[in-house]
Amino acid sequence: MKAFSLAWLLGRPTRGRLAPQLLTITAYALTTTLLLLVAAGGLSFRAVQDELTGLYLILAGTAVVLLVVPLAVLGGAAARLSARSHDERLATVRLLGGTPALAGAVTVIDSAALALLGAAGGIVLYLVSAPLVGLVHFRGRAIGSGMFMAPGIVAALAFAVVLIGIVSAVVGLRRLNVSPLGVRTRAVAPGARWIRALVAGIVVVVAFTALQQLSAFRDLAVMIAVMLGAFAAVLAVLNVVGPWVVRLLAGRSLRKAENPERLLAARMILESPQAAWRQVSGVAMTSFVAVFGGSGAAMMKASAGGQASPQDLALVDDVLTGVLVTILASFLGVCCSAVINQCALTLDRRDLYTNLDRLGMDPATMDRARVRSVMAPLLWVSLGSALVAGVLLLPLVGIAMIVSPMTILVVAATLAAGVLAVRGALTVAGSRTVLRAA
Amino acid sequence: MHENTPHPHASHPHSPHPHHPSTPRPAPVLAARDLTRAFGSTIALDRLGLDIEAGGSLAIMGPSGSGKSTLLHTLAGIERPDSGSVLFQDPSGTTGPVEIAALGESARSRLRRGSFGFVFQSGLLIPELTAIENVAMALMITGVPRSAALPRAAEWLHALGLAGMEERRIGQLSGGQAQRVAIARAQVTGATVTFADEPTGALDSATSSEVLDILLEATVGRGNTLVMVTHDPDVASRCHRVIHLLDGRIQHDAGVPTPGAEARS
Repeated sequence: MKAFSLAWLLGRPTRGRLAPQLLTITAYALTTTLLLLVAAGGLSFRAVQDELTGLYLILAGTAVVLLVVPLAVLGGAAARLSARSHDERLATVRLLGGTPALAGAVTVIDSAALALLGAAGGIVLYLVSAPLVGLVHFRGRAIGSGMFMAPGIVAALAFAVVLIGIVSAVVGLRRLNVSPLGVRTRAVAPGARWIRALVAGIVVVVAFTALQQLSAFRDLAVMIAVMLGAFAAVLAVLNVVGPWVVRLLAGRSLRKAENPERLLAARMILESPQAAWRQVSGVAMTSFVAVFGGSGAAMMKASAGGQASPQDLALVDDVLTGVLVTILASFLGVCCSAVINQCALTLDRRDLYTNLDRLGMDPATMDRARVRSVMAPLLWVSLGSALVAGVLLLPLVGIAMIVSPMTILVVAATLAAGVLAVRGALTVAGSRTVLRAA
Repeated sequence: MHENTPHPHASHPHSPHPHHPSTPRPAPVLAARDLTRAFGSTIALDRLGLDIEAGGSLAIMGPSGSGKSTLLHTLAGIERPDSGSVLFQDPSGTTGPVEIAALGESARSRLRRGSFGFVFQSGLLIPELTAIENVAMALMITGVPRSAALPRAAEWLHALGLAGMEERRIGQLSGGQAQRVAIARAQVTGATVTFADEPTGALDSATSSEVLDILLEATVGRGNTLVMVTHDPDVASRCHRVIHLLDGRIQHDAGVPTPGAEARS
């Protein structure tokens, strides 16, 4: 009971707290909405029962798995934002004689309350946006009412988001040393190591060789297993090697940086290459899959020709639609988490930004640096992973570009639109706008 | 902006020496006339007039809400007064007299970057950057390339006793060391006037005295001007001149007379 009344006393909305609290709630709301839309889209494939239903569910499942990463990043951003706003209050609890357990309980209650409010808002946003997303065509018709899931499923998924918030808060607390004099981070994130690159290189070579020798496997099941295995291994490699590559490239940028925004951006990335990677890792995987899916769709489209059944033609169109929707949803997730992280950083450092302005350092310089610190890794990983996928499927991509250039062009344009959307969202979240709103 | 290298120890002493009325007074580096600034019904500055001599140090004291920070911000072109003027006369002669209050936002930013230095209570350094990069950043935002900015930043860090700490992040420095980095950042551009807002407010007394020595050496000791807001009488006593504000007016001036005050009386 004491924890509840303390949580209310220390966490109730006041002028100074409102902006970060609203931001946290928005982050949870967006996470919930995107999760519900993705799940509804995936489950809608159960509506038509025929021999292709299994294949559609596998493809939808793959897309959902791919979108879990950006969603988890967004959920993590919400949780970190919530935890960061607790720092001062946790120290106050300890200063007043509260035990670490009481400080922990206050954090969990506060996080749960914000996540609950966000999840509720997310459900409303889902109900409002579902008809719009329902206009997307799969299996020859619009998804329509298929976007509305049973209330039980909606509640369970929303509850999962709240649970993520609570678990993240508890995990976050373990990394903090809460003393009466303040809150300090316990551990410094370990640096990325070259060994990662070596392992990654070996895995890519093995996967490449296996894919090149695919025809040597006689059994179809073995062929599919090898293909999926190679795909999964390379995706795993992307995650292992990502922070290392980001750190390497940021280090190079730092050495070459001649103006303030480039210097700041490189330092911001080097502050935590893992965090920079985490923010854009969803896009890395999506780009990778986009090349696979796009090339596959292009080949299928070209080979289907005139004699294919309407069902097969619909499948080709649906694979392409699926790839495009997954790219867009993935970028939407990155947009949301990038904006939320930027807003949190600006609010955290409002004194610094105000006074740098006084020193004569235009806030636009700081904004440009922050935009660059997100956009540079985004471009590195989206182009880099698309390139890796392209190398793995070298002949297939080449043929696809010749036989169905339009399909490849559409996929490339969607990727470019995603990058531009993130750029636009970051511009909107400029420090002046955020500080004026706070 | 002119080339600026640190030679703080080769400078003339800066012990307090209130201006003698018989010696001819040098032209003021900053001349404020009839400064008025109100926040709603609260009057922060009330037709305040003040001449600040080049090469001197001025401490602004007064109770909370007396208008100290507003005066500092208005003199530095951070805030614009509701009425009145602030004339800046660059002692180096690189620019003619500038009416700060009449300048637009960008022009005031340029002036702050090129001619003024700032030291705040908590340093306000960029945490992602190293000590040397924080100092070099002040030059880089004026267009100096990084390759030229870094050696000049290093010279200042060395001069202020921070040799060997160039690559340290701000979180790895003590409060006093961070404040020295802030002083180096304020001086590296060749600021002719340095504005300090409670520069020792967050430090213990020993470190405070050390930082104040360095601040005075780096500014007044090199013939430049220091304008400082402080609550601490010990800190104020180290300055050439001390003014006390109350309700937006100069209540007491231990130094030269204030022209605005003369006009009003």
